[in-house]
Amino acid sequence: MREIVACFKWVIDEAYIRRGSGGDLDLSAVNYKISDYDRNAIEEAVRLKEKCGGSITAVTVGVPEATRGIKDALSRGADRAVFIADALFAGLEPSQTASVLSEAIRAGTQFDLILCGEGSSDLYAQQVGPRLAEKLGIPCICYVQKLDVEGDLLTAERRVEEGVEVVEAKLPALVTVLPDINTPRIPGVKDTLTASKKPVVTVTAAELKSIAEARLKTTGITAFRMERSCERFGTDDKEITRFVGALRKKGVI
Amino acid sequence: MDFKLTEEQELIRRNIREFALKHVEPIAAEIDENSRHPAELFAKLAEGDWMGMPIPQQYGGAGADYLTHIIAVEELSRSCSSTGFTVSIHVGIACMLLLLFGNEEQKKKYLVPMAKGKHLGAFVLTEPGAGTDVMAATTTAVLNGNDYVLNGTKTFISNGPIADTYIVFAWTDKSAGRKGMSCFIVPKGSPGLKPGEHFKKMGLRSSQTSEVVFKDCRIPKENIIGQPGQGMGIAMTGFDHGRVGIAAQCVGILQAALDESVKYSKERVQFGNPIARNQAIAWMIADMATDLAAARFLTYHAAWLKDQKQPFSKEASMAKLFGAEAAMRHTIKAVQIHGGYGYIKGQKVERLMRDAKIPEIYEGTSEAQRMVISGNVLR
Repeated sequence: MREIVACFKWVIDEAYIRRGSGGDLDLSAVNYKISDYDRNAIEEAVRLKEKCGGSITAVTVGVPEATRGIKDALSRGADRAVFIADALFAGLEPSQTASVLSEAIRAGTQFDLILCGEGSSDLYAQQVGPRLAEKLGIPCICYVQKLDVEGDLLTAERRVEEGVEVVEAKLPALVTVLPDINTPRIPGVKDTLTASKKPVVTVTAAELKSIAEARLKTTGITAFRMERSCERFGTDDKEITRFVGALRKKGVI
Repeated sequence: MDFKLTEEQELIRRNIREFALKHVEPIAAEIDENSRHPAELFAKLAEGDWMGMPIPQQYGGAGADYLTHIIAVEELSRSCSSTGFTVSIHVGIACMLLLLFGNEEQKKKYLVPMAKGKHLGAFVLTEPGAGTDVMAATTTAVLNGNDYVLNGTKTFISNGPIADTYIVFAWTDKSAGRKGMSCFIVPKGSPGLKPGEHFKKMGLRSSQTSEVVFKDCRIPKENIIGQPGQGMGIAMTGFDHGRVGIAAQCVGILQAALDESVKYSKERVQFGNPIARNQAIAWMIADMATDLAAARFLTYHAAWLKDQKQPFSKEASMAKLFGAEAAMRHTIKAVQIHGGYGYIKGQKVERLMRDAKIPEIYEGTSEAQRMVISGNVLR
């Protein structure tokens, strides 16, 4: 194995999202994290590097404030990072993200294998991996729960609805991983402290061709509201009939 | 003013939190119940460089600043106060004293394995008749040829039964008053060193505490830390560092008390409503959150002063005093919020309340902190 690219997204940690008084999402005090499955992608890259050698480039598209995400990825074992950063990149939709990634990767990042999380923690559109592979003209293998590389051949276990499918592909290729593929390790203190000493290449929007129009427009976000109600029933025949009737009325039976 | 942590500190906080949730929280009740030292957990802590965080990498540590270490103690204590404290006394006192006062050979021989987490340290000062009154200590160290010979009984020694490296204080010249005490490195297995059995304690039960007896205990004379007579100053420096750690432990306890109280009071329904809707409960939580914020600021400020190489003795005492009393006050409230459930073993607030008592006592009682603070203010 020579060059592994691990793509990641720096997303809002959903644990910090509050429901605003008007049913909106209160994002005023949120923290950020590497999207959950992307952590698996980075971990898998590190695991493969430990087994087969090579080096890892972590790549992300985001706003310039996402520097902590770069350090986070580097502390997890990436050797260098490509930070495609611009204020314009807040809220890109998946087709745009894939095109920005492909352009930046083509421009100067070598790759034999590209790893992505199956979907992001925020949108979970599952689009970026396959779209990126298409743009780069390489095979894409999704839903991967086990991955092995020998020479320039990869073997992947895909979890599909009917069972497990084992496929092979020649490198270069792109793989999107499920969380079952590994357990991301927790970076040690030294890993975090040395992260900022690793090389980071920053690419701005101006260095890319014009960014495609969004195919998807977000018109608003509101909090999901779970309906709760409480009604008391007795235990005699009449009450049980009333209970069943109430459940039917709600459409739960 | 800048209240922002660095990106590295933020990441390290999140990592130790994840570590604590994964490895500490699941065993915290068990190690408390069985008074057990989880050696397997400390091996994992060592792997992540958590056992020597503020020690430079050349001496086996991670080379982080003191504030980062303090944040780690806080997050560990949020899951298990005993674990946070054991890290605190090992790193904050034993390792720091070797770093600050040890010579190059002592650092290589003793500090490196400690900072790597292979050896555990202990701070050996308190005696049955000498708690806050350090001058009442009776343990002596007499130079005999190329050895010091130590005699005396120490008690309430944290990590006493399990330490590899004991940092011991003894009189080399009792007639010289404060300038007659010296500090020594006593490795495990030294002839005449007899660590006692782990005490049965009310709280902080997995932190191992015992007597340590020295009976004609011989150590090479090069094991003295600093010069003869410097012991008292070394001990006080140890307290300054350790107290910031205890303050962090209290912040962790307070955060845990708040976490548990918020969760329970929103779930527990009485009279048709979650009890958090009752002002009586809501105000307890307001006070808890406020004191938590105050305790955290005092603690981080003391650690920050240390990192800025400024005096921090008074601030360390203030942080510990405030944190300890707030932790005790609010863990009682946390149990109150939980009602009968809070009084049952296995409920986290029950352990928190027992664990919160000792910070008012050890590494200087709250009364001793007030002596330090008033001494500074009235000077």
